[in-house]
This record gives sequence, C-alpha cells and structure tokens, in this order.
Amino acid sequence: MLKFTVKRLLYSVLILFFVMFLIYVLMYNMPMGYIETKARELASRPGATKSYAEWLSDLNAQYGMDKGVVQGYFVWLSSAVRGQWGDSWAWTVPVTQEFRSTVWFSFALGLVSFILEIIIAIPLGITAARKQYSFSDYFTTVVSMICISMPTFFLATLLKYVFSVKLGWFDLTGMQSRNYMFLSGFGKALDLAKHFVLPAITLTVVSIGSLMRYTRTNMLEVLNSDYIRTARAKGVDEHKVIYKHAFRNTLIPLVTMLGGSLPGLFSGALITETLFGIRGIGNASYSSMTQADVPFVMFYLAFISILTLLGNLISDLLYAAVDPRVRLS
Amino acid sequence: MDNRNKSFYEMLKQDAAKEENKSGEMKLDDIARVKVLSPGRQVFKRFVRNRLAVFGACLLIVMFVFSFLGPLVYPYGQKQIFYKYDAQNVNYALAKENSTYNGYVLDSSFEVERSVNNLMNSSIKRMLEDGKKETYIFGDEVWHVEERAEEVYVLSLTDSRQICVTGSGKLTVGNFDTISGKLNYSSAEVEGLEEAAAAANMKGSGGSFTYDGVTYDYARSGGKSYDITTELSGVNYSAEAPGEGFEQAMEKAVGKDDCFEFGGSDYAIMKDGQRYYVYSVENDRAAKVFTRLTFDLFEPGNSVSDEMRVGALMNTDGSFTADGREWTAADEDGLLIIRGDDGKEFAEMNTFSIRRYSGADTVEYDLKKAITETVEQMQDEGNKTAELVYRLPQQSETGEYAYDEDGSLLYQDTELHITQRDTGEYVINCDQIIYVIDRFAGPSIKHVLGTDGDGFDVMSRIMYGGRVSLMVGFVVVFIEVLIGVIMGGLAGYYGGWVDNLIMRLVDIFYCLPSLPIMIILGAMMDALRLDTRVRLLVMMATLGVLGWASVARLVRGQILSLREQEFMVAAEATGIKVKDRIFRHLVPNVMPQLIVIATMGMGSVIIMESTLSYLGLGVKHPLATWGTIINSVSSASAMAHYAHIWIPVGLLICVTVIAFNFVGDGMRDAYDPKSKG
Repeated sequence: MLKFTVKRLLYSVLILFFVMFLIYVLMYNMPMGYIETKARELASRPGATKSYAEWLSDLNAQYGMDKGVVQGYFVWLSSAVRGQWGDSWAWTVPVTQEFRSTVWFSFALGLVSFILEIIIAIPLGITAARKQYSFSDYFTTVVSMICISMPTFFLATLLKYVFSVKLGWFDLTGMQSRNYMFLSGFGKALDLAKHFVLPAITLTVVSIGSLMRYTRTNMLEVLNSDYIRTARAKGVDEHKVIYKHAFRNTLIPLVTMLGGSLPGLFSGALITETLFGIRGIGNASYSSMTQADVPFVMFYLAFISILTLLGNLISDLLYAAVDPRVRLS
Repeated sequence: MDNRNKSFYEMLKQDAAKEENKSGEMKLDDIARVKVLSPGRQVFKRFVRNRLAVFGACLLIVMFVFSFLGPLVYPYGQKQIFYKYDAQNVNYALAKENSTYNGYVLDSSFEVERSVNNLMNSSIKRMLEDGKKETYIFGDEVWHVEERAEEVYVLSLTDSRQICVTGSGKLTVGNFDTISGKLNYSSAEVEGLEEAAAAANMKGSGGSFTYDGVTYDYARSGGKSYDITTELSGVNYSAEAPGEGFEQAMEKAVGKDDCFEFGGSDYAIMKDGQRYYVYSVENDRAAKVFTRLTFDLFEPGNSVSDEMRVGALMNTDGSFTADGREWTAADEDGLLIIRGDDGKEFAEMNTFSIRRYSGADTVEYDLKKAITETVEQMQDEGNKTAELVYRLPQQSETGEYAYDEDGSLLYQDTELHITQRDTGEYVINCDQIIYVIDRFAGPSIKHVLGTDGDGFDVMSRIMYGGRVSLMVGFVVVFIEVLIGVIMGGLAGYYGGWVDNLIMRLVDIFYCLPSLPIMIILGAMMDALRLDTRVRLLVMMATLGVLGWASVARLVRGQILSLREQEFMVAAEATGIKVKDRIFRHLVPNVMPQLIVIATMGMGSVIIMESTLSYLGLGVKHPLATWGTIINSVSSASAMAHYAHIWIPVGLLICVTVIAFNFVGDGMRDAYDPKSKG
C-alpha cells in the first residue's frame, strides 16, 4: 500500500512537471499579453523617457520573462516549489492572497452542490435500478441525460431568465444586495446565501446526471449478482435486500468516485462563477486568463492539476480501502 | 471475420429454405424456426428495440436534415440583412428667423475684400441700431453700405482719397531709413523734415528730436529704419484742403457720424483710437447685395436662379427681367410677393425661413404659412412647443408616396410637433415611414424566430450555425479517434517501454485542463485578431489534440486483451505485417467501442464549442454557430427581452447533445448488453 502510494505520488509529480511545462509554453507565447500592454502604456505616457521596445525588454527582465522558455520554466518552477508564486498582474496582489480571498467562496459553492448532488442523485439512481424498465427508470434515465447534455451557460441563463428576470426572486449577478452594508451580520450571511442559490442549482443540475447514471448502473450490476439472488431465495425482506445487501456493495464504486471528486470542490466552477458573478477562484482565474496574467494562471492551473492528480490517487486508495477484495500492487 | 460469418449464416439459411421446400411442413426442431441473424443485424435489432435510442437517432436525422439540407430550401442566407418600413418620429423641418445677411454678387468684375465681407453682418446690425441708412467699411479700400430697401443692403466700392487726419494722439509721419537718408511719408509731407531726421543721427531703439517747433519721436522699426511719430494737433491734411468751411463741416460730423457731405461730395470718417481719418469718396460701384430675405416658392418644384434673386432684391418694388422673363415684385398686405409676367404668384420673400431638415426647400408654401402662423402664436403665448395638424403627402406602408388616378399626390392629416430649441430654431417633428434595418423583430410568418440585432433571420442563422457546430463535432471527434487509435494501438500491441511512454503521455493529456487552455487560446487569438475561420480551424485542432487520451486508453485496454486471443496468434503465425496486424485485425475489433465513444464525444464537443463561442472566445460573430447566436443576446437586457432568440438555440444544443448521448448509449447496449454504462 505504502509502496503503491509512493510510486503513484512520484508518477504524479512527473506528470505535473510536464503538464505545467506545456502550460508554461502556452502562456509564455501569449501575444499582446500583460507586459506588452503595460509597455505600450508606459511608452506612450507624456514625458516617457524610454521607447516601447526598451520598456518591453525592461519589463520582461523585471517579470522574469526575458529568459528562454525552458530556463524561464525552471526559474518559475524553482520559486513555485519554494512557495513563491509571485504577484498577480491582473489583481495586483500576491497570487496566494488572491487565492485565499476567493477559494472559500468556490469551496462553499462546490460543497453545497456536492451535498445536493448526493442527496438527489443516489436515491434516484437506486430507485431506477430497482425497477428496471419501469416508468421511473425511463424517467430517471431521460432526466439524467438531459442534465448531462445541458450546457452550463444555457442552464444558467435559463435560471436567471426565470428566477431573476421573470420572477424577480434573485439578483442577476453578484454576491451582495444593494442594501448589504446596512444588514446585520446574520442578514449579511443570509444575503450571501441567497446569491448562492442559483449558482448552486446550476452546478447541481449539471453534475447530477452522471452520478445518477453511475449509481443506477452499479446498482443494477449488484442486483444481478448471485448473492442478491441467494438472499432473495432465502426469503430476505426486499427492503433489506436492497438497502443492506445491495446498497452496501454499490457503495464501493460510489465512495471511490465521490472520494476522488472531493479535491475538485476547491477547483472552482469557471463558467458558473463567471456567469453569476461569484468572486470565486474560477471567476478570478477566468479574468486572469483573458488578461494573460501569467503568475495567477500558472498558479491556478498548477492548483487544479494537483487537485486532479490528487483526486485520482484518492479514488485508487479508497478503492482498496473500501473493498477488501482489492489488493493494490 | 464479418464476411466469414455472413457466408456461414447464409449457408444455414439456404439449408433451412431447402428443408422447408422439401417437406412443406416444419418440424419442431427445424432450424428455420430459430431465426438466425447476422451479428450486424442482431446489433441493429437490439438497437431498434431501445426506444430512447431510436428516438435519439430520429432527432439526429432531423437535426442533420435541418442543418445541412435546411439552408438549401430556406429562402434566407445567414448574413442576409433584413429591412423594414417603420413609422418613426423624424425631424421633418427646421424653421428659423434668418439672422445673418447673405451676400449675392452684383458685379463680378472685382472682388469684395474678405475682411469687408465678414464685417457686413455687424455693420448692418450697427446701422440698424443707430437708425442710419448708410455707413462705410474701411478695408484696403473704403466701402460704402447703403440700405436700398427694407432688409436689402448694397455694398459698393468707392474711389477714395485720404484728405486729412484730425483728433488727438500719435500721428505717424513716416518711416526714415538711416542708410539711404530717405523719409517715406505716410501722412502729409513736412518740408525739411527729411534733413532734420538725418541730422538727428538716430541711434538705439528710439529717441526724439525737434524740428520747426514740433517734437518728433522716433522708434526703431527694424534694421536701420525708424518710425517717426509726432503728437497730433489740429487738422493734418495729406491732400489739398477741399475748401472753406470744410473743417467746420468735418468737426460737426467727427465723433458722431461716419460720413458727412461737403460741397456736393461725400466724405467718410474712419475712427482709429483718438484719431479720425477723413476720406473723400466718390464713384460708388455696387459689388454685392446683402439680405436676410429668403424665397418661399409657391410651387416647391421651382427653383430660384441667382439672376432672379439679385433682380428681385434690387427691385423689391417694381419689375425686373431675369431668366428671360419679366417679373414684378410688390408689397401686398405686408408680404413681399413676386409674380411672373402671367400675373401668377411665384414666390414670397421673407426673413423667416422654413426648410426640410436636410436643408432642401421642398416644404409647401401653405405649410410654411401654417407653420409661420403657429410659431407666431407660440411667440405671442410664450410657449416652447406647439402642435399643428397639416396634410402631408400620404405614405404607403413601404414608405412610397400614394397617388390617385390622376397621378396627383394623396394627402393625409399628419400631426406636426413644433419645438423651440434653445438656439431659437424651431424643429418640426412628425411620424414618417422610413426604411430601417429590421432589428430584433419578434417571431412572425416571414421570420419564424424573428431577427437578431443585425437584422439577420434567426432561423437561417440557426441552420447555418448547426452546420458549423455539427461539423466541429465531427472534425474534433475524428482527430481524437485518429490520434487515439494510433497511439492506443501502438501502446497496446507493443507493450513494454512503448506502452509506458505512451501511457505517461496519456496521463499528461488527461491531466491538462482543457477548458482553461481553450480560454487562454481564445484570448490569445483575440489578441492576434485572427480571422474567424482560422479561429475555427485552430479550435478544432486543439480540441482534437486535447481529447485523444481517453480514446487511446480505451483502445489500448481492448487491444491488450484481444492480443492474447487465438486469431492474433494465427495472424502472427501467417506472418502478417505488424502494421496490418494492429490496424486490420486488432483495431476493427475495437470498432464498436470506438463508435460508441465517438458518438458520446460528439455531444461533449458540441457543448464545449458552444460554451467557448458563448464566452466570445471561440468562433466569432459574423460566422454563425449556436454559441455565437446566444452570445449575441447574452447581455442582461438583451437576455431579458429577446428570449425568442436564445431559448430555441439553447434547446437545440440540448436536444442535439441528448440525441447523441441516447444514440451512443443505445449502441453500447446493442453491441454489448452486459456492459457497464
């Protein structure tokens, strides 16, 4: 187990190294990026003493972009490993500070939708599997398919149209109402929560479909297995068969999958946050990406790559931990 | 393998048919009783039994027909702009009291000095204020302005001669050149002054000398020349004095008037500070006529020539010839009316001009009168706005004028709103039918889903957009599958370090966050200002390259198990080339899974493409895709008002993706009923 974990960790580091290199090459070659814009601005100021080209080379040197791609990457890597992620160009604060101020909004949003997803999807999936080919099965299949096929931006726009424009229940975007400053502490929290309703619904609906299908498929597989037939043959109460014998075994893949997606709660929802104006890490990184804010984008992409690799590792380890039949080699 | 199977089943079937023919009746264990199907048909049958999959397949067929055949029969193109006729409140006319005097040339043989021309307006206004009938303007020459009739002023050039200077202050005597010793007089000559100036031995920037009891100051004017000035006293003649009593006549006029008469000739006085220059003026030659009057024609189609205009202005109460015709102008009840030689009214001259807002003089005479009356009423009552109903030419729905059987214009009562602007002008507004781009039209028979912000038909945009969106799906999936099959095939077949290397590559690509990368790439292409078609190509290529990893993983997994089967051993034993073994024997066996993953992949690629286009980072505006159509109405207000545009498109995206997923799902179940979803 330990050997496996260490091996996987080492592999992950290797993969991360190359992933970040590819991303660095992309960011390094980004034309009309932040530095070019800044140099143009400085050179066109009244009384500017340096030309655009001079400013450009100065700024490149200052921001450490004057080295070649490979050397620049290693410089970035060495400081990143030491925890120095630099200052964000777009947000004009240290990258880690911007990260700390945004990530918890993302996490809250992710957690709420994660819990909702589990509460809704797993029971529905089990119901569908219990009565295969029944109406409820078809219904669940179709609903989950619709949820999977729904583009996030369309769902978000639809929700905004119905609940914000037509019904006027929620604000179109943003995290605070106009009277936020005059609310009490509890009122502020409620106000914030109210602004998270539509994004949370969006995220839940978009992610609910695959979990529902996953639960149904695995439940079906378990229900078709021999020990369930045996249990039924013994005359065990159907309720007990489903929720004790079958569900516990279905939990193995479910826990593996859900455990693997736990780190993803921190990664932020890029499109949902941007569309609803939630100041989460996804929104912040979207702004940074469109402004070629190299330090923040590099940090964010490294962050979500690590989360992905961590998720894979967790799900593998959980698989072994939950299912005693599995031995990792 | 398929061929072999087919022939085998064919044989079975033929046998069965023979049996049937022989006996005529069927035994219980007759092979024909068991329906034998080829694997392909079996899969097809299982697929057809899946209602959702069939539904999805039907949707897909509809979608393809809609997107690829629809534009062929649909009458509108994707970039066809639609126009409409719409009643809009337009600025119909502008009315104002003319405040400037326009000049018309009477004699073109000489030119009026520009400065004099510019001074005309203020000179005439000062004349009016002072209640004078004539005045003089002093440029290089002396110009005479005389009121000829009410609102008509004639500017003439005079032959002028400076007679004398009077008043107080400095008088410039002349300019003395110390090198040549010459004095150039600018006023009356003083005998002996030249010698006196030479004797003064001028030096430095200035000084003074006395001659004949008068003190002269000199000041350097440049180089070695000096301006000589002296204190003015009495009358300083620069020409011969006109005679006895002139000075008295002059003194009477100086300071009060700018002209006087003496001895039968005219004199003009130019004031310059405290000094007065007196000129004798004679021989007026009329150069221009200035007026505020404009012509209001009784027939809007007529026009006024310059000859006619000048003739009328010079003869506001009499007859004149212009354009080969005889005209009479007369004051009739306070209106200055010009009639032709047939006695018909031709035009009225007044100072209140009413023109179409474009400046064209096509407003009917009666309407002008009506507007004038209303404006006068407004002025009396002190109102800033007024309304007036008048018959304007009737417009059809297409903005054309309507005529009756005789070919004359039909009229329709139209409400005109007159508003006084802060500048004093009066603007006349009314509703007119004009030709505009049909933006954001609601659904109608002509445009089933209305039009968008550019006047494009939304339905046709959706059709063409569907082409691009589906094409993107196909191309991207093709690239994914192509790379995935090659990489997965190599990894699975060779194993060992090749497998290890490729699988690590797969791991890296698996880990690459594709949405952020596409966003960065989109921002990059924004900065490069790439053409939208190039963007499309780059986007498809990138999506393909980012997505091959899962295909490769699937192919490798399948091949790893297939590799150990007997037919592969046979293939190896028969000495088939490695390339053929992989791509002719192994890969075709992965085909079912590949088709399934490709079908499901289409859906996610379409979502990805539309998301990027929605964010404005994918395909750009003039090229239609489903994402860009929604993007065009993505602002909060457009989203709220033009739901008829984005909801159908969004649903279309959903339905297409659902259809692909249903079909993919159905195919997986059909190929392998026991597989996990």
